[in-house]
Amino acid sequence: MITREWPMYRVVLENLQLLPLLPRFNLKPGFGELSVDEVCRAHGVNTDFFLEIANAYLDELYVPGEGLSLFSLGTMVNYISATHSYYKDIALPTVENKLHRLMGHSKLSEKEINLVTTFFNDYKKDFMIHLSQEEERILPYVLELEKQASMEKPDPEFIQKLQTYSIREFEQEHDRLETSLKHLSELIIKYLPPFDDLQLCHQVLNDLSMLMKDLVDHADVEDKVLIPRVAELERSLLNSVSSG
Amino acid sequence: MRIWGFILVIDSYLVSKGVVALLNRIHGVRVLKEFGAKESFVPYLESRPVDFIIIAQHEFQRWSNLFISKPELLEKTILLEDVSTSDFQTSINLMEDRESLTAKIRHLIDHQDNDPESHSMELSPRETTIVRLVSMGLTNREIAEKLFLSAHTVMSHRKNINSKLGIKSISGLTIYAIINNIITLEEVSSLPAK
Repeated sequence: MITREWPMYRVVLENLQLLPLLPRFNLKPGFGELSVDEVCRAHGVNTDFFLEIANAYLDELYVPGEGLSLFSLGTMVNYISATHSYYKDIALPTVENKLHRLMGHSKLSEKEINLVTTFFNDYKKDFMIHLSQEEERILPYVLELEKQASMEKPDPEFIQKLQTYSIREFEQEHDRLETSLKHLSELIIKYLPPFDDLQLCHQVLNDLSMLMKDLVDHADVEDKVLIPRVAELERSLLNSVSSG
Repeated sequence: MRIWGFILVIDSYLVSKGVVALLNRIHGVRVLKEFGAKESFVPYLESRPVDFIIIAQHEFQRWSNLFISKPELLEKTILLEDVSTSDFQTSINLMEDRESLTAKIRHLIDHQDNDPESHSMELSPRETTIVRLVSMGLTNREIAEKLFLSAHTVMSHRKNINSKLGIKSISGLTIYAIINNIITLEEVSSLPAK
């Protein structure tokens, strides 16, 4: 378990798998002797929130729950948006770029290259649609809900909308984005002919595996923390309006 | 490949972590959650599918009312005994060695595999044929003609396939078909149909 007093450099040095997490909090290596708490404060990051996410990320068996319920929904929405940016701007383009290079330097037939390329393009399209739906519909709704719940007199129009809509509807649409990446890895490892550029092939598989794990963790944060908390807030807001 | 979800109800932290280490070495097993002393696992059971519950002997006694009211839970329960006295059919013992523990768990999993419910997300033979033809580049209309079905029936099969597998695109279905040996790489259409 990482704690606030640890020097940040040691946390990262001993847990390099945390690297993809850093840009989501606007943190960059070059920490000197500063502690986790000092680094977070200097960058306007809520230290407890960072610790909760980092520990969850490191613990295979962690089921997010109690710890994350201490933070405002706004904090969580910020983190989710930053994670989306990481997928869109860093993770996906990186693996796409390497995959194209790998295909370009291979002895694969045109058909095989076409199959992989089309698959990745389709996957990327689905992925982007999924993210933009969350960003355009879900996250603004969550922020608005938290704002309305904190007001003495919530907007009647919003309350009316609430009576017909619930975040639970979104839960049903939540696709599993990691499955396709697993299929792609299996195709490369088992079915495609060997690649000459072994190093690049390993990198692609490593990137895919890291992204898969990241997506599972991220879906956990959304499905097990965000959605139950939003549903709870929806209920209590409706109750307070009907009893008041 | 099917993944088997386990939950552990063991009050000893050290023993619980030991069981996790054991299970993590068994292929196809995933520990979903650990429950310590006085933590109720009932809400969790209701919220998602759990294949097996490994429960410590005295925890089992503590929850005896639950198991009496829901006897179906016993089918997925594995008792973790500290002394080998019980005649409970599916039990593992604290003093057992790794090979024996692994063999027992493997046996339970293989046995459970006959459960028809676990296959509900698998494709029917008809759906498998359709996935194969889609991967070969046939359009819905061509598939309908080939199988003597109406276009409407093919569409509804396609919808069921999508929802079972969570895969929408033709390229996604093609790769699924390859890694599940429904089609070979050679048979795949050279130009993915739009």
